Amino acid sequence: MAEVDGQVSEQAGAIRVRALAAIEGAEAMEDLQRVEREFTAKNGPVGALLASIKTAPPLERRGIGQAVNELKGAITCALEQRREALAADRLAAERRADDFDPTLPAASLDVGSLHPLTHVVRRLEEIFTQMGYAVLDGPEVELEFYNFDSLNIPGDHPAREHFDTFWCRSEAPEAASARLLMRTHTSPVQMRALERMELPFRAIVPGRCFRNETTDASHEHTFHQMEGLVVGEGITVGHMMGAMKTFLRELFQKDLEVRLRPGYFPFVEPGFELDVRCPFCADRKTRGCSVCKRSTWIELCPSGMVHPVVLRHGGVDPERYTGFAFGLGLSRLVMLRFGIDDIRHLLGCDLRFLSQF
Amino acid sequence: MLISYRWLARHVDLSGLSPQDVVDSYTMHTAEVEGLEPFAPHLSKVVVGHVVACEKHADADRLSVCCVDLGDGGEPEQIVCGAPNVDTGQNVAVARVGTVLPGGLKLKKVKVRGVESRGMICSERELDLGDEHSGIWVLPAQAKVGLPVAEALDITDWVIEIENKSLTHRPDLWGHRGLASELAAIHGLELKALDFELPATGGGKPYPVRVETSGCMRYLGLAISGVQIERSPVWLQMLLLAVGQRPLDLLVDLSNFVMLDLAQPNHLFDLNSLSKDGICVRDARPDECMQTLDEVERVFTAQDMLICSGDRPVAVAGVMGGEGSKVASGTSDLLLEVASFHPTRVRRTASRLGLRTEASARFEKFLDPTLPAKAAAHLVHTLRAIQPDVTLPRALGDAGDWQDPACEVALRPARVRAVLGIEIPDEEIESILERLGLGVTLGEPWRVSIPSARATKDLAIEEDLIEEVGRIHGYDAIPEQPLTGNLEPSTFDPRRALVRRIADRLSGPALFHESMTYTFQENALIEMLGEDERPHIRLENPQHEGSDCIRRSVLPSLLGHLAKNRRLQPNVRLFEIGKGYVPELANERGEPRELHQLALTRVTPRPEKQDRFDAGAFAELQGVLEDLWRHLGRADFTWRQMQEDVPSWAHPGRCVAAFFGEHRVPVCMLAGLEPEVQTKLGLTGELDSEVACAELSIDELLQIPEATARYEPLPRFPSVKVDVALAIPEDMQATVIRAAIEKSGKGLVGSAELFDIYRGESLGAHQKSLAYHVLLQADRTLTEKDTSKFLGRLERAVADLGGELRKQ
Repeated sequence: MAEVDGQVSEQAGAIRVRALAAIEGAEAMEDLQRVEREFTAKNGPVGALLASIKTAPPLERRGIGQAVNELKGAITCALEQRREALAADRLAAERRADDFDPTLPAASLDVGSLHPLTHVVRRLEEIFTQMGYAVLDGPEVELEFYNFDSLNIPGDHPAREHFDTFWCRSEAPEAASARLLMRTHTSPVQMRALERMELPFRAIVPGRCFRNETTDASHEHTFHQMEGLVVGEGITVGHMMGAMKTFLRELFQKDLEVRLRPGYFPFVEPGFELDVRCPFCADRKTRGCSVCKRSTWIELCPSGMVHPVVLRHGGVDPERYTGFAFGLGLSRLVMLRFGIDDIRHLLGCDLRFLSQF
Repeated sequence: MLISYRWLARHVDLSGLSPQDVVDSYTMHTAEVEGLEPFAPHLSKVVVGHVVACEKHADADRLSVCCVDLGDGGEPEQIVCGAPNVDTGQNVAVARVGTVLPGGLKLKKVKVRGVESRGMICSERELDLGDEHSGIWVLPAQAKVGLPVAEALDITDWVIEIENKSLTHRPDLWGHRGLASELAAIHGLELKALDFELPATGGGKPYPVRVETSGCMRYLGLAISGVQIERSPVWLQMLLLAVGQRPLDLLVDLSNFVMLDLAQPNHLFDLNSLSKDGICVRDARPDECMQTLDEVERVFTAQDMLICSGDRPVAVAGVMGGEGSKVASGTSDLLLEVASFHPTRVRRTASRLGLRTEASARFEKFLDPTLPAKAAAHLVHTLRAIQPDVTLPRALGDAGDWQDPACEVALRPARVRAVLGIEIPDEEIESILERLGLGVTLGEPWRVSIPSARATKDLAIEEDLIEEVGRIHGYDAIPEQPLTGNLEPSTFDPRRALVRRIADRLSGPALFHESMTYTFQENALIEMLGEDERPHIRLENPQHEGSDCIRRSVLPSLLGHLAKNRRLQPNVRLFEIGKGYVPELANERGEPRELHQLALTRVTPRPEKQDRFDAGAFAELQGVLEDLWRHLGRADFTWRQMQEDVPSWAHPGRCVAAFFGEHRVPVCMLAGLEPEVQTKLGLTGELDSEVACAELSIDELLQIPEATARYEPLPRFPSVKVDVALAIPEDMQATVIRAAIEKSGKGLVGSAELFDIYRGESLGAHQKSLAYHVLLQADRTLTEKDTSKFLGRLERAVADLGGELRKQ
């Protein structure tokens, strides 16, 4: 018996050595599966050893059974360990990400874009509508009456010279002030608003304006403005200062000093130029930057108290109501906002420009 | 307008105000200042030298070798000079070695024909002081040798540039005295007195002047005798140079001086060139001619006014004198004209002749009609201070139907406080008005008397006075106030809201780029598109010949930019939301119909072979539009092929319109480009492309009610997918087949998606095959039977249409 015993355990030992070496030698999960199949299949070495139990004398069978079970246990355990080790290796390899180059470019997505003017106009609309302003619109091809006469700029007024008006051709000579023109400012909507709005009201009017000026990097014959108009009882210059400061605080996200200087516009009285402390100057002590032309002030908009003649034209009693108006240069604001150095890009319809916003 | 600091100081004591203080005062209280520059800064580098010796150059006839004492205690410098007038004993302006002259020339020690020269004796032109270059500038004998020229002649000055536009309403500020009086008002200074009384004149009849036009309010003619034409004194030349005027001779300079000092233009005629009948101011006769001082022959209309000697025109009123009556050398008898002309008449003549002069710029601001008499006196006094022997042989001729515009305006101090929003006491208001030269009579209300100088244009109503108080008091003293009040909440304009949603959808999921283009369209473009057949509003004064057209629709503007963009990238997706103007739909006031439009274009390179029937630009743009409408809650639309009214630029076969619900007017048009137009636009050949474009009326879309998006319940039973292919005649439209599928499903068709169109020999000529994925869906489990019934019905339906169910 001892002899048989010895023989079986010798065989089992040899199988074990071979199996463990093969398991240890498996470098991948597939190798390991192949080794597992090889050693655990019914017709494999372990199976053959177990089969010998049938021909063994009954007294030896128990010994053989024990030896085979031990062998199986050892192989299973080794397989499990190796499997875990290989899984751990694979995770480690995945974590290493050897082929990753963080400086490779990201995938480029196709995207659309809004015009830079739209971005700025929307922001202004948000700010002003929160302050109770209505957003109005008016025609670009305008009657002379709305653009000039009703705004206290009658036909022989020298201020008309400054507007460089584009006039529209007409077949028959029309009555004075019934001629058509390209509006030179958004101010005609002041009169249109006075005609149709219930008092009191606050309104802004973004839109295109036209002047027959020679074009260059900072001048365009077509540009954008935003008119503001507030009419009510007891409206003062102080209210205008307050409204402008609030709006600037929202737009630039900081408190900015504002100053009024005298300015002449026939449809306001008193009339002002409203300047804002340059928001782009890092250090005021260095006397400004290129944006404010070293003055630390930026000329923001003409403004003033609505002229009584204008109020009367609009059917509003100037004794009871007063109001203020301002005309913000939108194109200029857009250029400041995005650092655009040539106004002609705005209407140039070039995708290389448009897709940047 | 240029203003001299030194000139201002002739009228008001500036010892307490630096040039920068003056600039700041104007900026904050009066008008916009554009700049501040030192006057002729190089004059403080050039020194006064005394020529102690002057000999001919041994080797050059025209050169002199001078020894010039520079007052520095050293040896006189040797300077070679080419001027004919240099002489011993003169005081001259010397630029020493190392000095940089205007124009950038830096002086070096040089040898001139073998003789060393250490510096340069300068002419006036070399110092940028006029055109005089016939010889060197000989300085007055009392100029102190060794001092910088600016200091020795006491001509240091600063030049302030004022923005003309901000003086449009202030005729009184178009001269130094007016601007000085502003400083006096701002700082409480005294304005120095000027003598505005004309000296005694000779007896006899006044010089004959007649005014025969309502455009001349007043005309003064003053004869002046015993005048010598010479160069002006240095002080006068320097003041004129500081404000950008070239000095010529004493008379021209004086005339300019008075205009720039008091803002009153004036003119000097050679008295002997004028008729004995004197001066007549009248309207021009049509086609009357005269040569003006700029030597241009001018032709006049009845709009213009002429100054005539007898009946012969000698000047264009308010604009420019005539060549024939100008003061020539040797003249000693003059006629001084000082007048008031109607601003509009002068402005029209000046702009019609394209002749904007210093005089016309002032007249068109509406000058004070009391000013001519003062200006005449000022000119005579200034002339006499230089030439004391000048006489006035005849009494002043004075004609014209003018009235003193001085007036009174009522003012309520409480209103001043209410409009400005400041607490300013009555006394301060009164003090400011008085400093401005206005008279105040207290009462209820106050009566404020406006002198003629401020009454022609600027100060007429209470608000004008409120502005005066505000600006002199200082706007920076106004505290900000928050806006309060009962307001109806404003509703956001529905069109603006819709436009915002459109722009977001297009720039977002649709990957389109928003553009903005000009309202003006090139004539060449609209002709190329055939759009010129339709009426357009045209500009009378376009910036460029050939772009006088105001767009009636936005899309053509985009089409003009396609080739340029396509050259730079294969895919172009552009949209613009803008306005068009239609003249034939004008309202009773003559305002053209304003259209709000969305224009879109999609350009792709033309593929070798179509991958899918719906891969092209047209189908893609159609998809973008349909997605947009569903997004906007306007999903009830049908496309119809357009038969009539196809625009000339649109592909006649590929042009469809979208109709919504019951709305009779199409909301959107979608089209390919007409092949010839596409070629002309440069989108064939190298840039061969598929182009689709669409124009949507935002006005019409707003008319379509928005349906709120509703939730669709999720199916509880699985659907069955059936693929069918249907062979049909080429001219049958897909919508017919689609309807047959719907009908054959008897309510079971959840969706039917066209995924292929096939044409080929196996089908025969003029046949096509449409392939659909059909999803059958019901509120129960569907069986084989449902599918086969559906297919059976479809087969019969297609057969009835002349087609055939090919496969399933």
